Amino acid sequence: MSLESPISRRDFIRNGALLSTAILAGSAGGIPWLKGAGVAEAALMGIGQELRDVLNLETVNRILIEALARGGDFADLFAEQRFRTSIVLDDGKIDSVTYGYPRGAGVRVFRRRQTGYAFSDDIAYSSLLDAARVASSVVQNQSPVRPLDVTPRRLPPPFTLAAPAPLMGEPMKFDLLRRMDAAARSADPRIVSVRIDYVDEVRDVLIGTSDGAYVIDQQFLVSIVCVPTAAQGSERRSGFSSLGGRVDQDYFPRRDPEAVAREAARQAIMLLTAGPAPAGAMPVVIGPGWGGVLIHESFGHASEGDGISRGTSFLSGRIGTKIASPLLRVIDDARWANGRGSYTVDDEGTPGQRTVLIDGGVLQSYLLDRQSAGLLSMRSTGNGRRMTYRQWPIPRMTNTYIDRGVSDPSSLLNGITKGFYAAEMGGGSVDTTSGNFNFAVRLGHLIENGQITKPVRGAILIGNSLETMGKIEGIGNDLVVEQTRGTCGKDGQMVPVGVGQPTVRFSSITVGGTAI
Amino acid sequence: MAQTSTTVQETLERVRTLAERSGAAEAETYFEFITLAEARVREREVELIQQSAITGLGLRVLRDRKMGFLYTTDLRRNVIDELVLRTLALADQATPRDENKLPDQAFPPQGNLEIFDDAIAAMRPEQLIPLARSLEDNAVARDQKIQTTIDTRAGYAIGEVHFSNTFIPYQVFRSTVAWLTCTAVATDGSQKREGTYSDRKRVFLDLNTPERIGRKAAERALARLGAKPVPSTKAPVIFEAEAAGAFVGGLFGAFNGLNVIEQRSFLAGRMGQQIASPLVSIVDDGIQRRGLGSRPFDGEGSQTRRTVVVDRGVLARFLHTASTARRHNVQPTGNAARGYDSLPTVGPTNFYIDSGSSKPDAMIQEVPRGLYVTGTAGFGFDIAAGEYSQQVEGHWIEGGKLVRPVEGVTVAGKRGDMLLGIDSVGRDLEFRTTFAAPTIRFKELTIGGV
Repeated sequence: MSLESPISRRDFIRNGALLSTAILAGSAGGIPWLKGAGVAEAALMGIGQELRDVLNLETVNRILIEALARGGDFADLFAEQRFRTSIVLDDGKIDSVTYGYPRGAGVRVFRRRQTGYAFSDDIAYSSLLDAARVASSVVQNQSPVRPLDVTPRRLPPPFTLAAPAPLMGEPMKFDLLRRMDAAARSADPRIVSVRIDYVDEVRDVLIGTSDGAYVIDQQFLVSIVCVPTAAQGSERRSGFSSLGGRVDQDYFPRRDPEAVAREAARQAIMLLTAGPAPAGAMPVVIGPGWGGVLIHESFGHASEGDGISRGTSFLSGRIGTKIASPLLRVIDDARWANGRGSYTVDDEGTPGQRTVLIDGGVLQSYLLDRQSAGLLSMRSTGNGRRMTYRQWPIPRMTNTYIDRGVSDPSSLLNGITKGFYAAEMGGGSVDTTSGNFNFAVRLGHLIENGQITKPVRGAILIGNSLETMGKIEGIGNDLVVEQTRGTCGKDGQMVPVGVGQPTVRFSSITVGGTAI
Repeated sequence: MAQTSTTVQETLERVRTLAERSGAAEAETYFEFITLAEARVREREVELIQQSAITGLGLRVLRDRKMGFLYTTDLRRNVIDELVLRTLALADQATPRDENKLPDQAFPPQGNLEIFDDAIAAMRPEQLIPLARSLEDNAVARDQKIQTTIDTRAGYAIGEVHFSNTFIPYQVFRSTVAWLTCTAVATDGSQKREGTYSDRKRVFLDLNTPERIGRKAAERALARLGAKPVPSTKAPVIFEAEAAGAFVGGLFGAFNGLNVIEQRSFLAGRMGQQIASPLVSIVDDGIQRRGLGSRPFDGEGSQTRRTVVVDRGVLARFLHTASTARRHNVQPTGNAARGYDSLPTVGPTNFYIDSGSSKPDAMIQEVPRGLYVTGTAGFGFDIAAGEYSQQVEGHWIEGGKLVRPVEGVTVAGKRGDMLLGIDSVGRDLEFRTTFAAPTIRFKELTIGGV
């Protein structure tokens, strides 16, 4: 098979030529929300006002008609503008401040498994018509399909923000970072350096689909990461803590940023004297919150519709079957209040929803976008996400967690003579074909005779998904869904996510330390 | 829309001049234009075709040694003008730092890097489809157990970087890259394992053939069938070249001049000391001919160069941007890495363990009992502590031979000791990513298994 009508060299060059047009285009437009005193005014102007002005119903209809001119099952237009502020505080100083203003739009066409995608770094009608032509070339030997006229859809938001955190003024942001820096430094004289990274963004999206949806949304996100380093002799250890989410400004005083910074300093100090982690398979108890990275890696990715519809995931065809301990209930919830992974609408126009993935150890659902849902003759679960307008949507998690159990967390240590308690976790990864996964522990403790004892240094923990989920022996009643730090990468696309769990006990996991 | 004629150069000059006139003591513009195309094939069908052009502008301003930065893809004149003024106001709120100073020495750009290939620049997206098909066909043809692939792609990109600052006049360079990658799936009963092989090159004719890449991907998937953990032990561990390349990539952050001065690297304070076996030299080479990380000047206009960071086991240099170099009171090393949308940070160019003299086969034959690692996964690096722990897979070695496939194990070591404990370095150095290494052998690491 080859493309019936190849993407012409001319189209390609024409995309290039847009560059000069874009630079030249002079006076019209501008960023209205930059004209006034700041981003706050922008939010008051109305969501996606500027995108709406350029990409009105009529324009979007025409672009989608062009996209399906050679046929196809579905086409969409995704336009996005972000206003992003980042601040780095290092060595006690505000190192740099950055404003980012990426803006553009992409057009996608798919037919069955085939996807065509093209984007433009401007949102001019002519550029997007070109993008639609390029994207449509993936389909061949088909008749044109007439898309439904788009009509505005209002979707109920999962929560509302009265005064979104990114809209607080820069002086407040600087003050927050300086206070955290001072708190981490004064926690202990052995703290030799502190780095704090602040990022926030206001993301406006406009989505038009060939089945008639026209959706506009505005999303706010803030994240602060604090990394103090402690030194003693030749030993150096870093701690880690974070703050943020899709939160209001009053989140910060409530969350006590200084305490969060001191917590990271405490970890660094504790690691200075921690012993080596053990090596080998042993009983493992994982603490609440960010420990949910285990379920994200061991199960979440394998439930995503792309691997399922290709038949390569080890969960393909397993709905309704028992895949884990009967204690296990796993949920993906795009509507979790203030969640990093929360949204009103996914990046292809489907409302975000709460999906029970595992109940009583039985697989209930997959996480689907439109394309994988179509291939499986199912409905999208509203999990089609993309990093920016430069990428096409793929099935992704939102806020994924192991639901609350019944056990008192401290009782989960009972009967373990020698084991490992994972207190602070790092990141992880998984191979969804084999189900082999790993995740890093920053700070652990030995479990000896049912008690948490000596702190030990970090190590990688590994396992095979189905085996590991079968080894769950107890789930605590202390559910925490961590909403301050998760960024999930897949196919080169990074998206913010929440992960969570209560305290969970496993009969055996392999710990990758050095002590045998 | 206005269509008066102008060039990228004139636009950059105008933006820089506006920043300077509005109060910036120093200003820098960095502009990228990248065109790219990629085709993905699965089960002989075109699964994805994409073709795009990326344009973006970054502007860094310094005022009273305080730094501000903006980036945008929206290049309308009044938008940029507005952003310039806001960025200057924002910079005012930063802390003054002595090292905040843009490079002010203009060098002739490094020449003859051969990072631009006319053949790639002349490619058309539809030419990628038969390449991707050939990858998959060759994977599937290798064995009955290979029925499908999941990530089989061919692509190319053509980039332009335009740069100028208050002191260094406008410069531009162009580069190309093409890639082929194949992930084959081997199935045996209910067991499935995938294997990936890929290649990236500046020059199209340097690419491994689709036949070889497809076959290698299939062989890797097949080799993993039936893999099992081994009992926990301490034993010699060999990292096959690609796994060793990933290992050296994880080590990079320890040589980052910022991490060193902020005490976040275990190598801080160890300059001139023996930190690795005398068999080990580590190089960052920004001017390697056809190198994936080579460029005529770095992300802030400093001259690129070849830097030996570890010379026969002795820590010789750290790597720097202009600002980290100033804090260490040394010359920059041309390691300012960035895109239009990021400030320069210390990054690798072509970072590798230099080739040794051992034959990879002989390195295995000398091991009575140990682990041969072909793949690593997971965030197992702690740069501050100098500790290493990763998920690995490969083969168990018994009597100098690979006897059975292994997965579900970890390897760990304290990095300082690990590097000193390298007792053999292969002669099979090959560059398929910006991190590379030959096969290396550690005298002893901890293996975590059942």
